[in-house]
Amino acid sequence: MRSLILLVCTTLFLFASDMTLEIVKDVGNLPKIAIEVSPGSITGKIGQKFSKLLLGDLEVTSHFDALPSVHIAELSAPIDYAKYKDTAYLLRYKLFYDDFGNLEAKAVVYDIKTGQPLLQKLYRLRDKERYPFIAHKIVYDLNEALHFPDVAFLKSFVIFAKYTGPKRSDIVLSDYTLTYQKTIIHGGLNIFPKWANKEQRAFYYTDMQGRPTLYRVDIYKGIRTKILSGAGMLVCSDVSEDGSKLLLTMAPEAQPDIYEYNLYTHALRRVTRYPGIDVNGNYIEEGSRVVFVSDRLGNPTIFAKKIGSTAVERIVYHGKNNSALNSYGHYIVYSSRETDNAFGPNTFNLYLTSTTSDYIRRLTANGVNIFPRFSSDGETVLFIKEFKRQTGLGVIRLKYNKSYVFPLYTGKIQSIDW
Amino acid sequence: MKKSLWFTLFVAAFLITGCAKKTIEIEAPEGSAPTTQEQAIEVNEGSGIKSVGEMSEESMTQEEKLRQMKMIESQAKKIYFDFDKYNIRPDQMPRVEYDAQLFNKPEAKPFGIKVEGNCDEWGTDEYNYALGLKRAKSVKDALAARGVDPKRMSIISYGESNPVCTEHTKECWAKNRRVEFELIP
Repeated sequence: MRSLILLVCTTLFLFASDMTLEIVKDVGNLPKIAIEVSPGSITGKIGQKFSKLLLGDLEVTSHFDALPSVHIAELSAPIDYAKYKDTAYLLRYKLFYDDFGNLEAKAVVYDIKTGQPLLQKLYRLRDKERYPFIAHKIVYDLNEALHFPDVAFLKSFVIFAKYTGPKRSDIVLSDYTLTYQKTIIHGGLNIFPKWANKEQRAFYYTDMQGRPTLYRVDIYKGIRTKILSGAGMLVCSDVSEDGSKLLLTMAPEAQPDIYEYNLYTHALRRVTRYPGIDVNGNYIEEGSRVVFVSDRLGNPTIFAKKIGSTAVERIVYHGKNNSALNSYGHYIVYSSRETDNAFGPNTFNLYLTSTTSDYIRRLTANGVNIFPRFSSDGETVLFIKEFKRQTGLGVIRLKYNKSYVFPLYTGKIQSIDW
Repeated sequence: MKKSLWFTLFVAAFLITGCAKKTIEIEAPEGSAPTTQEQAIEVNEGSGIKSVGEMSEESMTQEEKLRQMKMIESQAKKIYFDFDKYNIRPDQMPRVEYDAQLFNKPEAKPFGIKVEGNCDEWGTDEYNYALGLKRAKSVKDALAARGVDPKRMSIISYGESNPVCTEHTKECWAKNRRVEFELIP
């Protein structure tokens, strides 16, 4: 009897730790949170967007049920308990400029049951355009104060390449909602940015003016360093955990293959040798293997191999056209084209799979869903969605089985990294 | 008295007629050296200035070369591809033949050829860029097989970054799935 119970418990534990199964965390009774803004708060574009960002952040954490209406009240006004009888928390804020022109936000969060403040902070920014980061920090700090699971992804940067004209693309840094945007590289065709480290202090990208050249940019020093150049195609697809090695797609003889480049020894090692298309290499299983996209079976799909070995394992068996993968640990998220329409719109859906299980989990249902990227903790996936001529930024919280899409007005994105 | 008078006249006549012509030598003033020629300083200012529109023979040749290059480039035919494919369709082969003949003409031979692969908007990420590269390689190989020197040709992929049209129609997508050429001096 005891061994039977042990077997059942062990099995349940194993299932619960595999995100590819449709296990939905119990999110039925999320604590409600209301937002009130001080009458002295900034109005206009920044004011309106700020409250939307707060609401969006609270929803995306999947830890709160944010009430959509934002009421007006002074920070220290008495709480209307009758209005908030079913609400757990009240977030009040005031956004304003100080005497020196800095943007400040005072935020207070009350536990409505006790009437006591859980969080009381003053935030300051010199550059008012970075106001989204104040909103993200408020929600992050509230989440921390309540000891909910970590949501550091709210504060992380996104780096993306945006087409600005024919053969022209800029590299832009943004917050995760793409509201704040700062152009880092301008002029020419600059593509495939990739974060160089978890701290997001530097990134790699390819300059296509003349011979394709890979550069590393330190975003705090504003210094660009050439790494290497190559004919035809050169993309940094992934960076090893310790930042010492890069997985590159290169095509020295016009033959796209995966290579591994050691930044310290400058050794370049060829990983794949198929005469078709092998691209988009990503490290998995703590760097012991590489997953990549290959058309070696006629259509692009996902394979894995050990570096130095000739044996190749097929990972995905479903779908006719699977590409644009991103990996975290042993998980792989990819975009699968589910129609073959050369004459009409196509559907691309995102799927999650793992190298340690046979399960595949579909993450989206319609539209064109592309550029899936894991957050640094692997629990959230960011992607771009195009549906009925509109573009949106998608966020999927894997453990909560929740997906959010926010409208996006950024123009055509070439590539993105988170 | 008469004798002395005649004697005086005789002496005077002798004095006047007897003097040979004298050359007058003018002595040079004391202390001055003989004159030498001074070193002339070349004055270049104002030299070599050309009027606007007037060109040297070398510049004229360069501009003529560029004009010819652009003319040949404009005559080259783009090669089109099927959805998701990088093999050259049979109906595109006459265009490849035409381009090979064009690039092999004597006036085209001084120029390098950049073979540029392009895609429609339906690809994702790196696979799209690789598809463009394979399209460019297919065309390069086909041209090489028809006598165009491979050393003249370089290839590059622009993925979906260089569309000739942006409408979301099948006609536009077909126009973007192409290889085109840029000549290099």
